[in-house]
Amino acid sequence: MAKKKSPILKIFILFILIETVLVFVSNGFNKELQIGFDNGKFVLRNIQSHYDLQEKITEEFQIDEHYRQTGETPEIYGSNKTYEFFKNIFGKATAIGTFQLLRMLFIVDIMLLFIALLIKKKLLKRPSQPQILFEMIYTALKQFVIETLGKERVHFTPYIMTLFLFIWVCNVVGMIPIPGFIEPTRNLNVPLGLGVFAVAIVHITALKVKGVWGHLKNYVNPVKNPLFLLDIIGELSKIVSISFRLFGNVLGGAIIILVVSSLVSYVVFPVGLNLFFGLFVGTIQAFVFTMLALTYIGVEISE
Amino acid sequence: MDNITLAQGIVKAAALLGAGMCMGMGALGPGVGEGFVAGKACEGIARSPENASLITRTMLVGQAVSESTGIYSLVIALLLIFST
Repeated sequence: MAKKKSPILKIFILFILIETVLVFVSNGFNKELQIGFDNGKFVLRNIQSHYDLQEKITEEFQIDEHYRQTGETPEIYGSNKTYEFFKNIFGKATAIGTFQLLRMLFIVDIMLLFIALLIKKKLLKRPSQPQILFEMIYTALKQFVIETLGKERVHFTPYIMTLFLFIWVCNVVGMIPIPGFIEPTRNLNVPLGLGVFAVAIVHITALKVKGVWGHLKNYVNPVKNPLFLLDIIGELSKIVSISFRLFGNVLGGAIIILVVSSLVSYVVFPVGLNLFFGLFVGTIQAFVFTMLALTYIGVEISE
Repeated sequence: MDNITLAQGIVKAAALLGAGMCMGMGALGPGVGEGFVAGKACEGIARSPENASLITRTMLVGQAVSESTGIYSLVIALLLIFST
């Protein structure tokens, strides 16, 4: 029986091929491996790298610190004017890192907007394949919102969907093997901002539902609730836990990919690692962040 | 890396040792917890195989949440390594 390959499998195989070729071209052959003729024989040899692992990690994760240690002039993409501009705003200590982060956030936003416009342009009654995909995501998240918050609060679905898609694209965009493509969630500021925003939305919703005094009496009434300080600390630790979870997962995955692929001289291994840490962990963590934000809202407005 | 005093060397060595111990001890709890969750999910799937997808989803989310203490120790270990 000739089994027909599913389109997902085709995309998967295509992705692995493209990723392998791109990893070879972008990292492998011009940094660590070299093809050439040696004593009349065709060889594939390993160049002695002048970086050690510590310097490489510093270059990847603290790029300003790297330029400060080596004393090189930073080679910014495009012109030097951009670097001067960012140095004037953010100071010398974080100029390049901030530039990279802002550029990646901009790219992610452009991708999301582009996909949204592309889907919106041809909405059909008999939907095409991408439309089916996005309708499935929307329906599943809407079902979660209805299960958690009840039917009268379906209007939270766009926020939840935006949170999920943004974090997911942020986690996955680091898989594209172009130099300088980092995950924006690797920087602590992005998950921290999202976490603060989620907890703020929780409290604004509770204020709207229960009224000002009805919500605040849980925190500032020492007679009814003698341990109200612990509640306030608990609210703050919500932000820390939800944002450090995302940040640590993405950063740890990136460091493991860098270390292992430097151990095997960038040959084939990074592809599988990218699939695990980029796709699998990225999807799970985006889902967990979204579900936790939803659950916080649900717990706060339940009584 | 060249020309560091003895005190700086001791501090660096203590930070590296602390990072290793932090990772080792911090990985104990999530390992035990995730294994427990996976075992219980196996029992659940064996008992009612028609709910397998729901159980798998809940298991993955629970594992990701219980992994977070290990992630905190990873962050602390990275801070110890790179900021001293």
